[in-house]
Amino acid sequence: MGAATGLDLKLPMKPKSVRFAVIGDSGTGQTGQFQVAEMMAKYREAVGFDFVIMLGDNIYGGKSPSDFKRKFEDPYSTLLNDGVKFYASLGNHDDPNERLYKPFNMDGKRYYTFTRANVAFFALDSNYMDPTQLDWVTQQLKQSNSTWKICFFHHPLYTHARFHGPDVDLRKLLEPVLIQNGVRVVFSGHEHVYERLRPQHGIDYFVLGNAGELRPHNLKPSGETARGFDTDQTFQLVEISGDQLYFQTISRSGKTVDEGTLDAGKKSLTETVSPIAQRLNKAAAWLNHLLSRAMVGASSLRTAMVTASCPREILRRCPVPVASRSDSARWFAEFRLITSAGGSVKDLSWTAVNPAPINNSAAAFVPHGGTSECEKVGEMGRSLSAVPYPAASFITSG
Amino acid sequence: MNSLRSLLWLAATLPLVTPAQDKVNPEARVQEDFRKRVTDYVAVHKAARSEVKGLKPTKSPGEIGRYEHLLAHRIRERREHAVAGAIFTPEISTEFRRLAGIALQGSAGTRVQQSLNRAEPVRMPRLKVNGIYPEGVPLQSTPPSFLANLPQLPPEVEYRVVGHDLVLRDVDANLIVDLIPNLVP
Repeated sequence: MGAATGLDLKLPMKPKSVRFAVIGDSGTGQTGQFQVAEMMAKYREAVGFDFVIMLGDNIYGGKSPSDFKRKFEDPYSTLLNDGVKFYASLGNHDDPNERLYKPFNMDGKRYYTFTRANVAFFALDSNYMDPTQLDWVTQQLKQSNSTWKICFFHHPLYTHARFHGPDVDLRKLLEPVLIQNGVRVVFSGHEHVYERLRPQHGIDYFVLGNAGELRPHNLKPSGETARGFDTDQTFQLVEISGDQLYFQTISRSGKTVDEGTLDAGKKSLTETVSPIAQRLNKAAAWLNHLLSRAMVGASSLRTAMVTASCPREILRRCPVPVASRSDSARWFAEFRLITSAGGSVKDLSWTAVNPAPINNSAAAFVPHGGTSECEKVGEMGRSLSAVPYPAASFITSG
Repeated sequence: MNSLRSLLWLAATLPLVTPAQDKVNPEARVQEDFRKRVTDYVAVHKAARSEVKGLKPTKSPGEIGRYEHLLAHRIRERREHAVAGAIFTPEISTEFRRLAGIALQGSAGTRVQQSLNRAEPVRMPRLKVNGIYPEGVPLQSTPPSFLANLPQLPPEVEYRVVGHDLVLRDVDANLIVDLIPNLVP
């Protein structure tokens, strides 16, 4: 089909496969965005993808109706008229109220999930990853039994673009959740380049923040970079059939800049590369492996140091009271603490019975008895090197 | 004799009761005060929203803008005399500086600071309470560890770091509810 249409189509076009396109940092309203959109429309005729995921910065600058027209409705008019759905995530240049813009299909939510066949998508708001959202994504991922769990959000956990770099704090909290709950692929934008990372802890990361914006020559590839491209705008096509995910990244001018296959089960990547490139990749992978081992050692050491130097005050910092109730004789306070350390997330919940009420406020308690539940969790927190959740209204003893 | 026993018992138990009250962590009391002030604000927000009716997803960006402005207007009417420090009182601000200080300590603090620096820090004139967050200016992302160390908020409001300030922002109305200047180094 590709040859017939003059397009360089690499996807296998299997029957009943899930097909979609990926764009990031698109909403400029400039020529580059229009040309990418035009190329997408051409490929859409061949591939027949019926939805697009957006990696944030969907509307740069002003948010007037004419901005939405110039930066979204006009460039993608062919696709929109053909019934292609766009699923947006929020970038730092987006107004969070874009969640109410129907063509972005966010259903009024900053973060949401949707499923196509055996693929579950999780759109996150990486601008504001508060405990509520972290809890939500943990629960949603746990509940999903889809073969493919794909997350997309604006800020990359890994990248070698030089302008911003990876969001290391977001990585620290979110990555364990993704690993533990079987996420296979993550798409991000923010950096105005294209980069595919070698799998990190079993997850393939794509950075595609150049579907409208472009920051030429900004990528400084490392051993972790599987493929990078920073001299033109791109978009990506993805096809998922059973255990296989096929991707093809295409530039504004129609050149294929990357392609490959991911396997849901094996968590390994098969690239279409030359034998020389394969050898180079092997060498890079070996170097990367050595580096990773060194980093794991450093990471353990850092954790230990954090644990040792963590102020006692933080360790006594208590979990959040989530509910309280009482009967004629007793008070019940339900607490929750989510800790994330050492690559695992623990969600601890328990009920303290008969805590002493303070100032007749049902929201604030001193734990009953000499050894408070709070202190017990403090012990757990210590052993886990917990990310502390603040006391909020919890009143600690001592 | 019984009265004497009762008195002795009372005297013996009093010290036990008093320390229990002394165990109240003053910081938690301040945080409880903050929570109450936020709850009061949310009540204002909800009352204003009931007048303009919540907005369902729409194809019209103009409708979203109008809803945002109208809601902000109604909230302003109800908080006409709101000033900086109405929610972040001096005592609460001090507590937030302490919590932010904890989040910015040690290697975790380095990470948070790194994330703040890489999130396209916003530089602009200081925002005003009851003012709008300027359209077209990016909202700086807030590091998750930093957020995790602050008291949780109801969905109507959110924290945002703007330059060095911490802003409490009304999400739907895009309104500055209150702010703490120079919280972040």
